[in-house]
Amino acid sequence: MRLEKCWFCSSTVYPGHGIQFVRNDAKIFRFCRSKCHKNFKMKRNPRKVKWTKAYRRVHGKDMTQDSTFEFERKRNRPERYDRNLAENVLKAIPKIDKIRVSREERHHKNRMRGKKEKLQKEAARELEQGINLVKAPSALLLDPSLTLPKITVNVSQQQSDNNTPMED
Amino acid sequence: MAAAAASRFGHSLFGGGLRNCFPGLFTTTSHKLTCNTNFLSQQQRTFIQMRTVLKVVDNSGAKKVMCIQALKGRKGARLGDTIIASVKEAHPNGKVKKGKVVYGVVVRAAMQKGRCDGSEVKFDDNAVVLVDKQGQPIGTRVFGPVPHELRQKKHVKILTLAGHIA
Repeated sequence: MRLEKCWFCSSTVYPGHGIQFVRNDAKIFRFCRSKCHKNFKMKRNPRKVKWTKAYRRVHGKDMTQDSTFEFERKRNRPERYDRNLAENVLKAIPKIDKIRVSREERHHKNRMRGKKEKLQKEAARELEQGINLVKAPSALLLDPSLTLPKITVNVSQQQSDNNTPMED
Repeated sequence: MAAAAASRFGHSLFGGGLRNCFPGLFTTTSHKLTCNTNFLSQQQRTFIQMRTVLKVVDNSGAKKVMCIQALKGRKGARLGDTIIASVKEAHPNGKVKKGKVVYGVVVRAAMQKGRCDGSEVKFDDNAVVLVDKQGQPIGTRVFGPVPHELRQKKHVKILTLAGHIA
């Protein structure tokens, strides 16, 4: 049984899941779920849709070239069963997984390296540029011209004023 | 924005009575527009039933046939089913002439069909390969992809003639 990759989001299509569309030139498009199939029908480009693997690869979000990806690939010749080989493969799978995860973490860390300094720099610049918009609270208390003057309004008189034009 | 502006304008001129009718008018038109786009983008695919016109993808001489009877299924034929059809368009000197009644196997259907493992498969168009009453193909070539389900339906000859099996 072969585990195919979804054409749109590049996730694994397990047996019995999803739908496949065969174009007239015999190209097969496999989709893992109706979400991917619908996006394909809307003629969206997976490289431009942010949640797909293709987008993340193109925009440098994920690791693209790594030796751990070499183990998972399409083989057209079936491997002859060998008990020792199967045992070794089963042993190697968690090890490779661990290496892959650690490398992905390192990649993410590298990608996020300058982020904190950048954010702080931006915040400092915004503060410098917009400091004139902020008034200290104590300044408002000292200088009465900065606050709105208090006006006493006679409420009952206003109501009678409002009523007269409506009746006209 | 336009609807809000219009409603405010109406209120100041004519009072509250007319205000209610403006937003209603705007919402109905926009709703109709969205319905139209949905209808165009997602057409519902159905069974191959009486009067369905199918493409003939072999060299029997017919180009288009119209289904006149599905031999199996209450609602109509699906991928891999046999139909009776009448030839609507044909090449001038082929084996099959226009107006003849022929048997055909549906080798491509735009409506999705479940596979044995639970996934689904669908094709670009509705296509048929003409066969005789015993199930032997009339033509000697089959164009385009055909599904491997034809093997279960005992149409191995069509599978061997086909170039691509999906």
